Amino acid sequence: MNDSQSDATYFKSVVSEIEAEAQRRSASGQYPRALLRSLDEEFRRWIPDASLENGVEDTIRGVEAAAYVDPVVPVDSRSPFGRYIKWAVRRLTYFYHRHIAQQITALGIHITRPLRLLDASVKNVDRRLSALEDRFDVGATARAELIAGISTFPISSDFKEVLASHLANASGRVLLGDQVDPDLLQFLRASGVDTYGVTSSSERSDLVDVRQETLIEHLEHLEDKSLGGFVLCGLTGRASLNEQLRALRLLLLRSKPDARVAVIVVHTETWSARLGPVAADLLDGRPLHPETWTHLLLREHALEVTAVESSDSESTLITAKLP
Amino acid sequence: MTSVHQLVPTISPRDAVGNHTLALQRVLRGLGFESEIFSMFRHPDLMTKTHYVDQLPPDADAVIYQLSIGSPVADRWARHPGKKIANYHNITPISLVGKWDGLLAAEVQLGRDQMARYANICDHAICDSDFNKAELDALGYPSTETVPVLFDISNAKADKGTLTRLLRNRRGTQVLFVGRIAPNKAHHDLVAAVRTLRDVHGDEAHLHIVGTDGPPGYRRVVDTIVSHAGMRDHVTFHGSITQEELVAHYQAADVFCCLSDHEGFCVPVIEAMHHGLPVVAYDCAAVGETVSGGGLLLREKNSLLVAAALHRVSTDVQLAGRLQDAGRRRAADFNRTVTEIRFRDSLSELVDSQ
Repeated sequence: MNDSQSDATYFKSVVSEIEAEAQRRSASGQYPRALLRSLDEEFRRWIPDASLENGVEDTIRGVEAAAYVDPVVPVDSRSPFGRYIKWAVRRLTYFYHRHIAQQITALGIHITRPLRLLDASVKNVDRRLSALEDRFDVGATARAELIAGISTFPISSDFKEVLASHLANASGRVLLGDQVDPDLLQFLRASGVDTYGVTSSSERSDLVDVRQETLIEHLEHLEDKSLGGFVLCGLTGRASLNEQLRALRLLLLRSKPDARVAVIVVHTETWSARLGPVAADLLDGRPLHPETWTHLLLREHALEVTAVESSDSESTLITAKLP
Repeated sequence: MTSVHQLVPTISPRDAVGNHTLALQRVLRGLGFESEIFSMFRHPDLMTKTHYVDQLPPDADAVIYQLSIGSPVADRWARHPGKKIANYHNITPISLVGKWDGLLAAEVQLGRDQMARYANICDHAICDSDFNKAELDALGYPSTETVPVLFDISNAKADKGTLTRLLRNRRGTQVLFVGRIAPNKAHHDLVAAVRTLRDVHGDEAHLHIVGTDGPPGYRRVVDTIVSHAGMRDHVTFHGSITQEELVAHYQAADVFCCLSDHEGFCVPVIEAMHHGLPVVAYDCAAVGETVSGGGLLLREKNSLLVAAALHRVSTDVQLAGRLQDAGRRRAADFNRTVTEIRFRDSLSELVDSQ
C-alpha cells in the first residue's frame, strides 16, 4: 500500500471516528441541545425564502440599470493614433448613436415599468396570503415544536407476518413511510418483499435504501403507477387531516393497478394517552379511525379491505388491494 | 495556418474561467495554431487582447466554447460550420441561485437548456472533472473527457504585513474559506459550524472568508446570520485580495473548510493543499474527486459534525501533519505542466482528425 492509499484509509477511519464521536456525544446529551436548536432555528429563519422578495427587487433594479444605454462609445486603443481616430468618429456620429441609444433606453424603461407593477402586485398577494395564513394557522410554531418532540409510535410486531403475506405478490417496489421501523423493514426484505423506506426523521439511519425526505415530497417526484404497494404509517398519527388525505391520494396515484396497500393507524385513545393533554390539544392532526381508512379505501374501489387489530388493542392494520 | 479560436460569454482577468481561457490560448498558440479569444463582455484590461464576438472568423477550423453560464454566445458557437469543442466548467443548478438572484437564475437556466440542446452538435467536450463529464454523458454528448482546469498555483511570497497581522491577532483555530460569496458555497453553514466549534468545544475559533460578493441578497443574509449568531467579532470578510495576501492567509490559517453544496471543480481547495493547509470538506458534487485522498471528506455537514472535524484537525497534530503531506501530494496532481500536456495532446489530436 503506497502513502496515498494508506492516508486515504486513515482519513476515512478518522471521519468514521468523528461521526461516531459526534453521534455519541449528541446521544449522551453532552452537547447543549437548547443552544444548538436555537442556532439551527436562527440560521433557518434567515436562509432561503426570506430573501425572495428582495431577490425580485434586486433583479428589477438590475434590469433598470441595464436599460440605460450609454451613447458614449469607448475610444481605448493600442495606439494614440487609433484613439484619435475613434474619438473623431465618435464626435462625428454622436448624434446618430444618441438617437439610437435614447430609443433603446425608452424601450428598456417601458419594459421595466410592467415589471414594477407585477412586483407590487405579487407583494400585495404575498401580504394578503400571510394575513390569511396567520388567521388560519395561529399555532403553527407551537405545533411544529410539538411534532419535533414526538417520538414515533412503535409498530406492533403482530403485523409483521400479515404484512409479509399481504405484500408477497406485489408487482413492484413497496414503499414504507413515513415511519421506518428497522425491524419491520428488514423482516419484509428477508421475506422477499422489495421494500424501501421514506422518513422525514432527521435522525441518521444506517439502513440501506431509506430516503430522508418527507413522504409528500418523495411522492411528488415519483412517476405515476410506479409502486407495487405501500405501507402508510407514522404520519397517520400526527399529520393534519389534509396532509393525511393528500398522502393517500398521491400514494394511490403512484401505485400500479393491483397494488397491495396497507395503513397502520394508532387508536385515538392510545394516541391521546401517550401524547398527554397539551400535545393532544395543540396538535393540528390526530389519527383517523380505522373505519375512516376503510371507508376511504373502499371509496377508491379497493378490494379485499381487511382490518386487523393488534393484540394490545393499541393499533389497527388495514390491508387492501387496488383494482 | 490552422485556426482554433475560443468563445467565452464574459472574460475577466481575475476569474477562474477567464484565466483558464487565457492559459488555453497560450497552449493553442504553442501548438502552432492561430488562436484568438472572442467574447461578448470583455473586462477593460483585456480589450486589446480579446475581440468582440461578432468578429469570430466564419472559416475557423475549430471553435472552443467555454461553457459555464447561459449566453447568446453559445448560439453563435452552435452555428459555426467548423469543428465545435465545448470546455465545460459546470453550471450551478438553478435551485441554488434562484432565490437569491433572479437574473443569474435566468442565465443558469438558459445555460442548462443550451447544454442539453447542443449535445448532438458538439464534436467533443472537455470537462474539468468527472462530475462535470457525467452530466454531459447523461445528456448524450457523444465524446467527452476529463482534463482539469488550467490554473497557476500561486508561489508568490506571502505579504509580510498581512501575515504579521493575521498571526498577531490569532486566538483559537483559524478557519479559512476562499470563494465568491454565493449561496452554492454555503457560507451560512461555515458560520454555523464555527459558532458550534466555539460553543461546543470551547475553541476561540475565527472564520476568515476571502472572496468577492456574489448575489447581494445572499451577502445580506450571511451578514444577518453573522449578527444573529453573535459572530461579528469572530468572522472576517476579507473581500478580493492580492495573490501575496492570499498566500499569507493560506500560511496563517489552521484549516481550510469547504462546505459548498455545488462545485464543478474548486481551485481554492487545491491551492490550500498546495500550501500545506489541512482540508476539511463536505463531499458533494466535484469536491470529493478534487480533494480525493488529500483531505477529510465529510458525508454530512451538520454543524456538530463539521465542528467536531475542525476540532479534531486542530488538536490532533499527527492527523494535521498527515493531512498536510497528503494535500501537497494531491495538489501536485494538478501541476500546470501536466495539465497543459493533456490539453495539448487532446486538442492536437482533435484538430488533426478533421
